[in-house]
Amino acid sequence: MAREYDHLFKLLIIGDSGVGKSSLLLRFADNTFSGSYITTIGVDFKIRTVEVDGERVKLQIWDTAGQERFRTITSTYYRGTHGVIVVYDVTSGDSFANVKRWLHEIEHNCDVVNRVLVGNKNDAPHRKVVLTEDAQRFATQMGIQLFETSAKDNINVEEMFMAITRQVLRTKKERKERQAIQTKETVNLSKSTKQHRRKCC
Amino acid sequence: MSSTEQLAIVQSKFTSGETVVIAMETPLIQGWLRAARILALVNKGSTHALVILLTSRTPPRVFSDLTIERVLPIDQDFKCDINTDETQPDGSDVFLNVSSRKLQLVFEMKPGVATSALVSEIFRAFDDYQKSKSPPTEYLWIQKLTGSSRNLESSANDAQDGSDPLVELESPDLVVPRQNIAKGKAPVAARESVVRYQMACKEEDYTYTQVFRMFIGTWNVNGQPPNGISLEQWLSCDQKPPDLYAIGFQELDLSKEAFLFNDTPREEEWCQVVTKYLHPLGNYRRIAVVRLVGMMLIVFAEEKHVPFIKSVSTDTVGTGIMGKMGNKGGVALSCSIHNTSVCFVNAHLAAHCEEYERRNQDYADICARLSFARYVPPKALKDHDQIYWLGDLNYRITEMEASVAKHYISIDNFEPVLAFDQLVQQRQLGKVLQGYHEAEIKFKPTYKYDPGTDNWDSSEKGRAPAWCDRILWKGDAILPIEYRSHSELKISDHKPVSTIFDSQIRVIDMVNYRKILEEVMKKLDKLENEFLPQVMVDTTEIIFDTLKFFESSKKELIIANTGQVPVQFEFIKKLDDINYCKEWLKIEPYTGFIKPGEKCDIQLEVHVDKKSACKLNSGEDKLYDILVLHLEGGKDIFITVTGTYQRSCFGSSMEALVHIDVPVREIPVGRLIELENHKNLTAEPYPIPKEIWLLVDNLYRHGIKTKQLFESRGYHSEIIAIRDWLDEGSQESMPGSVHSVAEAFLLLLESTAEPLVPYNLHNVCLTAATNYSQCKQIVMQLPEIRRTVFIYICCFLQEILNHTQDNFQDAKTLASLFGSIFLRDPPRSRDDRSQRSRASQVTFDRRKAAFVYHFMVNDQSDFILGR
Repeated sequence: MAREYDHLFKLLIIGDSGVGKSSLLLRFADNTFSGSYITTIGVDFKIRTVEVDGERVKLQIWDTAGQERFRTITSTYYRGTHGVIVVYDVTSGDSFANVKRWLHEIEHNCDVVNRVLVGNKNDAPHRKVVLTEDAQRFATQMGIQLFETSAKDNINVEEMFMAITRQVLRTKKERKERQAIQTKETVNLSKSTKQHRRKCC
Repeated sequence: MSSTEQLAIVQSKFTSGETVVIAMETPLIQGWLRAARILALVNKGSTHALVILLTSRTPPRVFSDLTIERVLPIDQDFKCDINTDETQPDGSDVFLNVSSRKLQLVFEMKPGVATSALVSEIFRAFDDYQKSKSPPTEYLWIQKLTGSSRNLESSANDAQDGSDPLVELESPDLVVPRQNIAKGKAPVAARESVVRYQMACKEEDYTYTQVFRMFIGTWNVNGQPPNGISLEQWLSCDQKPPDLYAIGFQELDLSKEAFLFNDTPREEEWCQVVTKYLHPLGNYRRIAVVRLVGMMLIVFAEEKHVPFIKSVSTDTVGTGIMGKMGNKGGVALSCSIHNTSVCFVNAHLAAHCEEYERRNQDYADICARLSFARYVPPKALKDHDQIYWLGDLNYRITEMEASVAKHYISIDNFEPVLAFDQLVQQRQLGKVLQGYHEAEIKFKPTYKYDPGTDNWDSSEKGRAPAWCDRILWKGDAILPIEYRSHSELKISDHKPVSTIFDSQIRVIDMVNYRKILEEVMKKLDKLENEFLPQVMVDTTEIIFDTLKFFESSKKELIIANTGQVPVQFEFIKKLDDINYCKEWLKIEPYTGFIKPGEKCDIQLEVHVDKKSACKLNSGEDKLYDILVLHLEGGKDIFITVTGTYQRSCFGSSMEALVHIDVPVREIPVGRLIELENHKNLTAEPYPIPKEIWLLVDNLYRHGIKTKQLFESRGYHSEIIAIRDWLDEGSQESMPGSVHSVAEAFLLLLESTAEPLVPYNLHNVCLTAATNYSQCKQIVMQLPEIRRTVFIYICCFLQEILNHTQDNFQDAKTLASLFGSIFLRDPPRSRDDRSQRSRASQVTFDRRKAAFVYHFMVNDQSDFILGR
């Protein structure tokens, strides 16, 4: 019988102010887009339930304020996060330059976490300044998967969120397997010592 | 409210003769939401009805609070079962599914005594119906309840579904007003139950029908073994191989052993021979076999269908000797084929011509007692979409001479004989197999023959022919293709019978199923997101202009609940802060509750007082704070509060003030911060801060003879004027009354970061408090500026005490006041304060006073001289 969900994951969207973090969330959770820009002053979340390989995953996706002055406060929301989406704006070189700082922020505030790099606003080629090759090179170097998206035109948004979800799910399963192996080894170890002792007697 | 009171109120909604057996408040799941309803079981005469009532008040207080929404007669079309979520071990919710004709309702109930009482009463009422089979006319009282004149006559004829006797009085749309949701009266129903309900409602959108060819067979073998027999002419006489076989046997073994121990080698023997003679063009796998004494049912399915046949469950019911033994009764198999639930019942009902009532009873017992335990709660017979009822039902022909019957039969004119068939008659009377269909009988009676022949029974008893062996069905979309007997098989006194059906099975289209499930989930997610608390604030940046010491300023923040649910908000602590805002800020109220569509005004007051001034002066703190407005179960909003603080001598340290020879306002802010941090000091500082001198001088000149100096309070406006006079400098004389000057003086001493006697000396001061010479030693050790200020003030206090005849001051009062100021306790958090008991605080205060007292009553000239 079906349960409400098999997994519950917390995802966090970070990146400079105005790169489209809220728009990505709105597109993914409500499939809407609003052209008018409203700065996020705070942190907000939405939920969405998706199926991944027959398993039901409930995502709680947190959207954070990107403004510099809130950085120390927003860092407290990193706790308990399973996956982080680092967003830059492909039409803003500065926002891409700042990605390093955001990645550093993650390292500083999270233990083990899955990440994806997202170049948003990839819908106006003539305004694009962050070249795909440059971003890809950087992403490869950092060991992160890169997605170029457009929340406005609904390009690659679903794919990006599904990718990070899969990543998080995989990490969870790998960890479980590791734990299972470890417990097995411990059991084996204790078994062999017992046998050993018996021989001694 | 007690349940008896509630029952009485519900009862008052009905007239005498209509008795409310039980009533209970229970949420009805409507689409995505739960709505409050009262469910009442009402009895009149031999009939029951389930009445669903709306209530304008919870709990209802008078009968006019109640409105009858729907009435469901408990009759043959009534279905009721309960569902629990297996995955939740505590069984947090029980779902009561009630359906009648085309209407389906789901109630979400809490497990407990009340729920089980209601459910068992409903089941009992249904059992009563099964026994009494009240005709539709008995239900006419329901029409009066609902004010409807629609036809209640819904006979076994299924085609009359159009006349729906169920009554909808109000809100046919059943939309819960948004307002109710907002008030939290109709919370979003538990997600999973909604998903299940929505998926059930949309079944048609993700399923399609596939025709299954079913072979249903029955044979009373009269205890004969299948030695070398061929069943080809029975089981594979058709061209097209069936998709599924359900084959029932009766009297498989008539031995005592079989009866007593329910163990017989015949089971295996017959299974083998049946398997052997299944249609050669099909590739069959046995799904299950179930047997009780001589009754056996085997089901086979074409290999390709096997993965889609699930939830296979069997049960047996004995209705023989004592009403329990397995010589008569039924065996059944329940399963789901794709998305259609199917049940096969192989029955052997009571024998003997005149015993038709006994047979009716056996049928009713089998119906009532069949229960498939694989399901939780167990699934009953009536809960299946398709039921195939086969077996030796034993109904005879009693009202026609056997010879006459045999004559008609010999010329293949069955109609006149069938008119006297007990099963046909009893079904017409609604006494047995209601709602079932039977194909037209075009074959000779299957009983009773001399074994090995096609001749009628030639024994002494000379039994009349009868159609004992029958196959009936119940459910939609089942088309009988063939209904025949197989006289070629002669080993028994019965002939086998079979029916070929083309039955429509609902198949799930996985692509569509996923798509629709995703839609349902999306809709639920959307709803869940919409139901998150939402507010708008009129601003996220609150800017106070210039703020001065001791002068408060207020701003308003409006929080409007723009969402659909009530909001509980709170300003919460961030990071490692001990409070939700800086100490110079006050938020009123800092937590609260806002209903949807309503607003809450928040007052933000900035007040830089003696505690917070020093940090702002030294640059340690700024008039800048980010507040975190948290919505319970929802988002956080950051509110930035900023202001410009105008620095003052109040809050400045003695050490900084002695280096400033102009009014504080005249030096740049950076210079002030520099001095506070002991940088770039001037070469020739004042011995004491000029501000202290100015205040003391004023008091000396104007207040030396004033009664209650330091006791009477000054005026706030005058203190502010004095602050500006000191900070800005003026040619005028100091404004304000002596009491205001006195308070300003104390305030100046109290608003420094550290008290005049630094914290690190407090313990030695208190220990030495009774010993003047030790106290003097301590004062000698004070930093020069502080020592000078200390002695200067003490001398001034001595001067006051020289005028006691005018000012009535006494040394002890002044000592305790200045003791608490010179040896001010370090700031402590609230938790700390509770630790020091009141008694010990009194001792501390007394010692502080004692310490200062020495310097007020002893001559200080040696101090000054000793410099």
